[in-house]
Formats: sequence, structure tokens, C-alpha cells
Amino acid sequence: MTAIARARMRILRPYLWLAPALVLVVAVSFWPLGYALLQSLHRSDYLDLGTYVGLENFSRFMLSEAGLERAWNSFVLVVGTLAISMPLGFGLALLLDRPIPGRNIVRTILILPWLVSNTVAALLWAWLLNAQFGPIAQALNGIGIAMPNVLTSPTWAMPALIVCNAWGAFPLVMVFLLSALQTIPKEVNEAARMDGAKRWQRFRHITFPLVRNTTLVTLVLTTLHCFNGVTIVLIMTGGGPFGATDVMALRVFEEGFKFHRMGIATAGATIIFAINVFFTVTYMRILKNEHGA
Amino acid sequence: MTARNRRRGPSRLENFLVYAALAAALAFALLPLLWGLSTSLKAQIDVHKMPPVWIPSPPTFANYADAVFDVRFGRYLVNTLIVVFASLVLSTGLALHAAWATVRFRFAGREGILLVMWATIMVPGIAVIVPLYMASVDLGLYDTLASLVIVYSAWLVPTLVWLLRGFIAAIPYELEEAARIDGCSRIGAFWRVTMPLLRPGLLAAGVLVFVMVWNEFLIGYSLTLSDGNRMIQVGIYYFMTETGVEYGPLTAAAIASIAPIAVLYALLQRAFIQGLTGGAVKG
Repeated sequence: MTAIARARMRILRPYLWLAPALVLVVAVSFWPLGYALLQSLHRSDYLDLGTYVGLENFSRFMLSEAGLERAWNSFVLVVGTLAISMPLGFGLALLLDRPIPGRNIVRTILILPWLVSNTVAALLWAWLLNAQFGPIAQALNGIGIAMPNVLTSPTWAMPALIVCNAWGAFPLVMVFLLSALQTIPKEVNEAARMDGAKRWQRFRHITFPLVRNTTLVTLVLTTLHCFNGVTIVLIMTGGGPFGATDVMALRVFEEGFKFHRMGIATAGATIIFAINVFFTVTYMRILKNEHGA
Repeated sequence: MTARNRRRGPSRLENFLVYAALAAALAFALLPLLWGLSTSLKAQIDVHKMPPVWIPSPPTFANYADAVFDVRFGRYLVNTLIVVFASLVLSTGLALHAAWATVRFRFAGREGILLVMWATIMVPGIAVIVPLYMASVDLGLYDTLASLVIVYSAWLVPTLVWLLRGFIAAIPYELEEAARIDGCSRIGAFWRVTMPLLRPGLLAAGVLVFVMVWNEFLIGYSLTLSDGNRMIQVGIYYFMTETGVEYGPLTAAAIASIAPIAVLYALLQRAFIQGLTGGAVKG
């Protein structure tokens, strides 16, 4: 090998070790996005691209009455899940940050829902909430309340999905915040206490600002996981009853694999991707501030 | 009680409230799991007993025998383990070398390439599932375990690069340099010197791959068709929908599917948290 060839080889070496990973990632994550965008502008004929229809698929997915309702349902599901999992996860992190006996075992058990698949979580909650044979129905019965069949009730199906989603989501919030809280030196709080700061003041002015970024990160992660999730809705309610729990992600799945309308499915997928980009960019801004500050 | 004492420790009432709150949280976390476990240990007539009982008497393992030793469940288990193992080898192999190259070399476009890779965190499964399905049909990979290995690995690589870069950067480069003076090539030095020291990182990576593949449903469902190619979560889904719900065997299958993860978690807590938080940040 000549000296020049050897030098060229040396320059290329890092790219060679990086290339296989990059090719795989681009092929499986970026190529489909481009194809989805292309397909979303066409009325597909099953697997063939079909005729160009402009933005018709987008308006059919999003701007129909059912489309707007789905967007609203997605919003309610996400906000409801956050409303339970964020305070719960945050509160538990604060409690477990204290030097109390037994906190390790409690923490270990509280992480369990995070390890359970969405499939199994949905199945277990559906069975727990069973109005005929479940223990909750039984307990309500004991105090004179007849439990409705929550998963087929237009009123209760969405709250049931929210509870199941929040159940799987709160441990992540707890774990992230607990590790953030543990990086705060004890002296900081101690000093404030010496200066006469009340507990709420210490939380408001010392603890919370120091874990603010972590809180926002868990907020975005939970939002996206819940917004993009298909499995729990598919298994617990299938979008019913009468579309009461029909969410955007589930609809993309059904347009693709039930109705085989690939154009509408990819239009929905493109919209969902755009929303993810919006949230992730926000997330990166937060991280950047964290490192900049 | 003097002010000094009060400062030192929480009051009894406060302690009581803390434990009451933790007990409520534990109940919330465990209720669905314990009810499923209880049902899985019941004889069929007790599953539909009114009022429901928590402690089956006597407990029976018949449901586990029915579900877990079912031929189909066995096949789902084997499929899942094959895909876990293949994804582990492919994704960790690629990510390890990519991470090493970006930590140990300075080269044009390094930051850009990493950014492109990590940008895939913005791409959720539901956004690409339909094109992936169409491509897998076109390429003849539809209804194969290979298609699952490819997709899972591609999804895992960016996270693993993120995770492993941290572990590689923590190992002094001087060790690799010393090995090179002794005649190793650069990659040889990485393999022989750094890799053995990466065990905690590889363990965290392994946990992440295992949990992600084991628990995944959407891709497994969309890219396979025949019963012989189903993954464990997909199999459980079909158990639930095919024959009408038989909650005894169904909960047994569900609890059995959690068991390996729970056992691993009990053994490898540290690696679990590292892997899952790495995975959550970049997943």
C-alpha cells in the first residue's frame, strides 16, 4: 500500500465503522417517512401508489367530523394521563427522596408497572375493571353503587384508558425525578432551612427550579408515549363505544391494517410525525437550556 | 418538643401520612397484577364466582399448565427469544462500533451524523408502520422473524449508541493507546482492552434490547401473519381475541410473560434502570 492510500484509509476508517449503523437507521426510520409523505398524496390501490389526489387524504383524516373528534380524544387521553401520572410520579419521588425505612423495597415495587407490556397492562386492567366479576365492581356494590360496564360506556371508557395509561407511565416520572432530586446537595436545603424558609418555600424556590428540566423531559416523554400508543386503546376499547375513545394513532393503524386505505393511513402518520417533531424540538430546547445554564 | 428536635426528625403524624400515601401508591401499582395473579391460580368455576375471592382455595396451577405448556405459547416463546437474541447481536454490534468511532475519532461530519441518528427519536412506530409493512411485502420479508429483527435493531441502534458512548468515554483512551504500542490495531485495541471493561454498559444495553423486544406489540402484529411467526405479546393478543376470553389461562399467560422480566429486574436492578432510562431518553 502506498503512503497516500494508507492515509486515505486512515481518514475513511471512522466512517466505515459508523456506516452500517447509519444505513440501517436511515433505511428503517427515514426512508419510510419519505415514502409515507409520497403515499399520503395519492389514493392508494392497496400496495400500489395509485393516483395523485393532493391533500385529500389529509383532509379526510383530520378535517372530517370524526377526524376532529379523534384529535380531541387524543388530547383528552394525553392530558388525562399526564394529570394523573405527573403529580403521582413527582409526589412519590419526593416521598422516596426522604430517608425512610423500607424505601428501597417500595421503590422496587412501584417500578413494576413500567416493566409490564402495554398488551398485558391493558388485559389486566380490563379484567380488573370487569363489571361482573371484578373486585372493584364488588367493592362498589358493597356501598350500594352499581358499576357500569366501563369499557363499553361512552362516559367511562376514556377514564378507564387514562387510568391504564397513567399506571404504566407514572414509574418513569418517579424514577427520573428521584434521580434528579438525589443530585441536589442536602446542604442547599439545610441552609435555606437555617435561614427560616418554610417547607413550601423551599420546594417552590429551591427544589423545584433544580428539577424543572427533568420534570419537563418526563412530561414530553409521557405525552409522546401516550399520544403515539395504539396497543392499550386497541385492546381495551378498540376505539369504542361509538368512537368515544377513537384516537389518532389507533385510526392510522386501522386505516392501514383493517381498511387497507394506505393513503389515508400515511396522511395520518405524517400528521402524527409532525406533532412528534414539535414536541421533540421543544424537548431538545429544554435539554439545551439545561446544559447551557 | 424543642425547635431543634423538630428540625431533626419528622413528626409521628407526618410519618403516618407518608406511609399511608406510599401504601395507597403500592395498592394502585399492584392491584391489577395481584388480581391477575389471583385469577391465574383459580379453577375455572372460581374465576366467575360471586362475590369474587382474592385468595383461591385451593390454588391450582392448571391454568399455567394449559397456557404456558400450550404448544403455541412455547412457539411464541421460542420466536421471541430468537428475535431478542438476533436483535441483541445486530443492534449492539452495530451500535458498539458506531459509538466507539464517534468517541475515539475526530472526523468531519461527526456531530451531523450523530444528530441524524438521534433525530430518529422523533419517529414513532405508528408513523412508519404502514410504509414498513408495504416494504416488507415488496422485499419478501413480510411474515418473517427477520423483518422484526431488522426493524427492532434499527430502532434500538440510536439509543444504544447514546447509551454506549457514555460508557466508552468513561474508559481512559490511554489503555487503548498502550495496547497499540504493543502492536494492536486501533480496532483490535478496542476489542481486546476496552470491550471487556464495558460489561456494565453492555449489560444495560442487553436489558434495554430484551425489554423492548419482549414487550413490543405493534410491529410484531403488523409484520407477521402466520401463527408460527408470532411473538409473545402478539400471541397473548390472539389468545384474548380468538377463542372468547378465558380469563384463567389468559391471566396465567400474562403473568408468565411478566415473570422473566421481573426476575431479571430483581437480579439486575442497576443495569435495568440504566438501560431503561437511556431507552426512555432516546426512545
